[in-house]
Amino acid sequence: MSYVQIEHMSKTFHGQHVLKQLDLAIEKGELVTLLGPSGCGKSTLLRILSGLTAPDTGKIYIDGKDVTDVSPKNREIGMVFQSYALFPNLTVSQNIAFGLEMNKVPKADIRLRVQEMIELVGLAGKEQNYPRELSGGQQQRVALARSLVTRPKVLLLDEPLSALDAQIRKNLQKQLRTIQRELNMTTVLVTHDQEEAMAVSDRIYIMNGGRIVQHGSPHEIYTQPHSEFVARFIGNYNVLSAEQLNQIAPDLSIREVAERFAIRPETFREQPVTAEDIRLTGKIAHVSMLGNVTRYELNIGDVSVLVDTLHMSFESEQTGTTKTLYLCPKDVIPLYDTIA
Amino acid sequence: MKRIGLPSLSFALVMLYLFLPVAATVLYSLATEWNSTVLPEGLTLKWFAELYGDPRFLQAFGRSFVLSFLTTVVAVVIIVPAVFSIVVYAPRMEKLVQLFVMLTYAVPGVIMAVGLIRTYSGNGIPMIVITAGAYLVGLLPYLYQGTRNSLLALHARSLMEAAELLGASRWQAFVRIIVPNIMSGIFVSALLSFSILFGEFVLINILVGGRYETLQLYLYNKLSASGHVASAITVTYFVLMAIITSLIVRFTRRSFARKEVS
Repeated sequence: MSYVQIEHMSKTFHGQHVLKQLDLAIEKGELVTLLGPSGCGKSTLLRILSGLTAPDTGKIYIDGKDVTDVSPKNREIGMVFQSYALFPNLTVSQNIAFGLEMNKVPKADIRLRVQEMIELVGLAGKEQNYPRELSGGQQQRVALARSLVTRPKVLLLDEPLSALDAQIRKNLQKQLRTIQRELNMTTVLVTHDQEEAMAVSDRIYIMNGGRIVQHGSPHEIYTQPHSEFVARFIGNYNVLSAEQLNQIAPDLSIREVAERFAIRPETFREQPVTAEDIRLTGKIAHVSMLGNVTRYELNIGDVSVLVDTLHMSFESEQTGTTKTLYLCPKDVIPLYDTIA
Repeated sequence: MKRIGLPSLSFALVMLYLFLPVAATVLYSLATEWNSTVLPEGLTLKWFAELYGDPRFLQAFGRSFVLSFLTTVVAVVIIVPAVFSIVVYAPRMEKLVQLFVMLTYAVPGVIMAVGLIRTYSGNGIPMIVITAGAYLVGLLPYLYQGTRNSLLALHARSLMEAAELLGASRWQAFVRIIVPNIMSGIFVSALLSFSILFGEFVLINILVGGRYETLQLYLYNKLSASGHVASAITVTYFVLMAIITSLIVRFTRRSFARKEVS
């Protein structure tokens, strides 16, 4: 049995199925991300895991124990909320100490452990500040310290970085991952930001419509999407029907039979790499500069594909010019939408 | 020369309309004689001395204070946790509560008093307790609105959840986290409630009358005896209300300032 195990979890809100017979397993020390669009059920799953929402059916096991009916206060779970939920009337150290006080930890230990946490999240000097006197990033770190100080079995993070600026978010992602590894903390992160999921996770569970549609390492998810939904959600994949694929690359021999195929925009190359690479020629319909990447919308016959190339040349290519590219058959991924 | 605009003029007229009677009352409470002259013939503090020297006044003031204070405290203790439970855990029930709140306005004081007498007289419960009970219901709108607004501004639900996940019971979370954060809101509502009860006349007059003479009943009885003393009572009442209002303003500003910072 895995460290955290969820079996046949279902939940209905006002007649709407939010979670449908869902199974999920997390190993000790792993950082798993629940990734999906708004309303896919990921936050509900997190709340059920924390005990704040009761499931209709299903079981939750943590560290071998059935905790399905255990109250949140006795579940030994730490949670960081999207809104931080810091206590406005308490200082940084009082916020962090709150959980220890509730668990009746001796005063001397509380002082020591709070100080440790403050140093771990890099908030030394802010101990006596109130939450309103801190920036968003600092508040988030207090929330993290507060949930870690009680040494929970599982840490739950509900879109913890979504309210922060891009730069601060990137720094905090890194810091979060470092701390998680340092403490070997089993962690579940909920996010709708696929870049964030890719950057921090050991494994990603992709959710849609109350189900898990695919799970695997960030690399597996990114390079082998099983369905059109995953392909579109995880990257800017080109999703083509078999007919369209045949139109743009008639010479391509694909072994698998599928109705649709996905091609990552960055797999189109300006030079052939292998002998199998096939040549495609199309007209540039649109060029957008995305910093280090140039994105072309290329019309090959009637089919329009997105192509990302590293932004190397000093002169950008103009709309209307012809561009030749090469595609490796291995990069054409068949999609089987019925397979989750 | 600077021209006086219409807004300033109308403002001045409104202020005059509002404050002229107050100024006249204050002057009358300080006047020796004020019958046939534009301004009082002389100024004196003897009406205040007479008033504050009257043990009946002090007792009436004390009774009003005790009745309003105790009722407000009991109302806060009962209504605030109830509103908290509804707003945080059963928001769907809020519509029902809002209906109750409207109902308290729907019944005129005289009808309520008659109804209360018919229902409760002769069954052994002292009428003063019935009055306090009716007051308590009457305070529902003020305490409900104040508490509800404070809770919504605080995002009380996520704070409760955060506290519970950290090992606090609901009661501990309520006392340690929610109450300190909505205290200024509760205090403002309580002051408002206190001042409303302090000035209440209809119910207490019909239900209890002379058996429990409050400040308003004392004032009513003094009106026929001496206009000067009645004015002195009114001025005393105004001063008390001014203190309460300034406290409300101060606490409201403080909670606003806190929100702006955060």
